[in-house]
Amino acid sequence: MKRPIKVLIAKAGLDGHERGALVVAMGLRDAGMEVVYTGIRNTPEQIVQAAIQEDVNAIGLSSLSGGHMAQFTRVMELLKKEKIKGVLVFAGGIIPDADVKKLKKLGIREIFGPGSSIASIAEFLKKNVRSK
Amino acid sequence: MSMTRRELTKLVTRLEAGVPLSPELYARTGNARILGITGPPGVGKSSLIDRLIDELRRQGKTVGVIVIDPTSPISGGALLGDRLRMQRHSDDDGVFIRSLATRHHHGGLTDATPQIIHALDAAGFDIVIVETVGTGQDEVEVAEVADTVVVVLMPELGDEIQRAKSGLMEIADVLVINKSDLMNAGAARQETRRPKQGQRWERPTLRTSAKTGDGITTLCHVADAHHAHLAASGQLAGRRERAARAEVIRLLQSRMTASILCALGASRPQTILSAVAKRKLDPYDAAQKLWVEILGSKNRSHKYVATNSR
Ligand SMILES: Nc1nc2c(ncn2[C@@H]2O[C@H](COP(=O)(O)OP(=O)(O)O)[C@@H](O)[C@H]2O)c(=O)[nH]1
Ligand SMILES: [Mg+2]
Repeated sequence: MKRPIKVLIAKAGLDGHERGALVVAMGLRDAGMEVVYTGIRNTPEQIVQAAIQEDVNAIGLSSLSGGHMAQFTRVMELLKKEKIKGVLVFAGGIIPDADVKKLKKLGIREIFGPGSSIASIAEFLKKNVRSK
Repeated sequence: MSMTRRELTKLVTRLEAGVPLSPELYARTGNARILGITGPPGVGKSSLIDRLIDELRRQGKTVGVIVIDPTSPISGGALLGDRLRMQRHSDDDGVFIRSLATRHHHGGLTDATPQIIHALDAAGFDIVIVETVGTGQDEVEVAEVADTVVVVLMPELGDEIQRAKSGLMEIADVLVINKSDLMNAGAARQETRRPKQGQRWERPTLRTSAKTGDGITTLCHVADAHHAHLAASGQLAGRRERAARAEVIRLLQSRMTASILCALGASRPQTILSAVAKRKLDPYDAAQKLWVEILGSKNRSHKYVATNSR
């Protein structure tokens, strides 16, 4: 049997809004994925180490307040430093258009704004995750 | 540690996919202490593990953790939410946490859990902690893999009778009533029964609070005491033998099942099966015919086993 897609859903930084990330985590579970949910206030180091230990196919980063640029940039740096390849990173939350471009340049594959449906995220992952 | 984390994590993924551990690695196992944590959902198992990691790290021990959550029978997906409670230990070099989905395995663990325990053991962790799914009262598999089984309950669960009936109680080496911060002062102050020395282990009941940290040090001491008791009384070897036996039997069972299912695909077994559906043959006689056919006539004596369990 092929292993289901395994995804880490984490909130970086200090903002304490959990709702959106949890809804995405539950939605992806309902789409047949194994979702490691690590909740709020994760440091970039914790996110990257968790992704390694869990051997996930994808990481979903969520941010609802400012501060995402610094946090997401650090996550991407650490992934590079740890030489982690083949792990797809996507993001969600309220992120201004100007930042979206920069984040994509960092290697974040897709950014899902507040209006995005879970189905569209699930479809994106199924299409783009490199199955192991 | 003899393996990098990257090597270890990829190894665990292969084990999860059913690839066996190499004999070389298996030969390096048997050094870690295996601690099983079980109990109903929401009692604070994951939060307790978070506190235990703190305590064990203070003692300079390295800790591997396996946490298990159920796979949804409908979607095949799983929400793995245990790590959330211990996420602060993720960037500690001496800690490795892996979340597993049951993928429809019943019994509280997953198919590959015994092998993954071996992997963490071979990687050199001093202690391996396993948190079971915690949904059923028949989740006793953890007793097959752990040296020490901690059953966690909480005050509101009440009803002693219900508790005593539970299969979980039979496997508990240590009973923990967590969330003691929610108990009224009188109950919380109640003396903790400490284990006595001797041949027989008298299961202690401890009160802990993963919220305040109360009782965690005692829990560590008691787990140590239980392990020392097992070692001193010679029971540790017995438990390890039981674990090895259970693991091999499970592997045999899955091979048997696979070969039976394969053999049933042939045309004569199909005829026998449809004869049962048509009420021309009863299920037990059909099973006997197929048993002889698939596994050879030497197994004829099995008839009586089947008849007795009818
Ligand atoms: N008041 C109190 N709450 C606790 C304690 N331990 C855990 N909890 C809470 O109980 C809930 C379930 O905890 P969790 O560790 O996930 O339980 P598990 O399902 O048994 O692993 C969480 O909201 C915890 O914060 C405790 O000792 N006291
Ligand atoms: Mg838990």
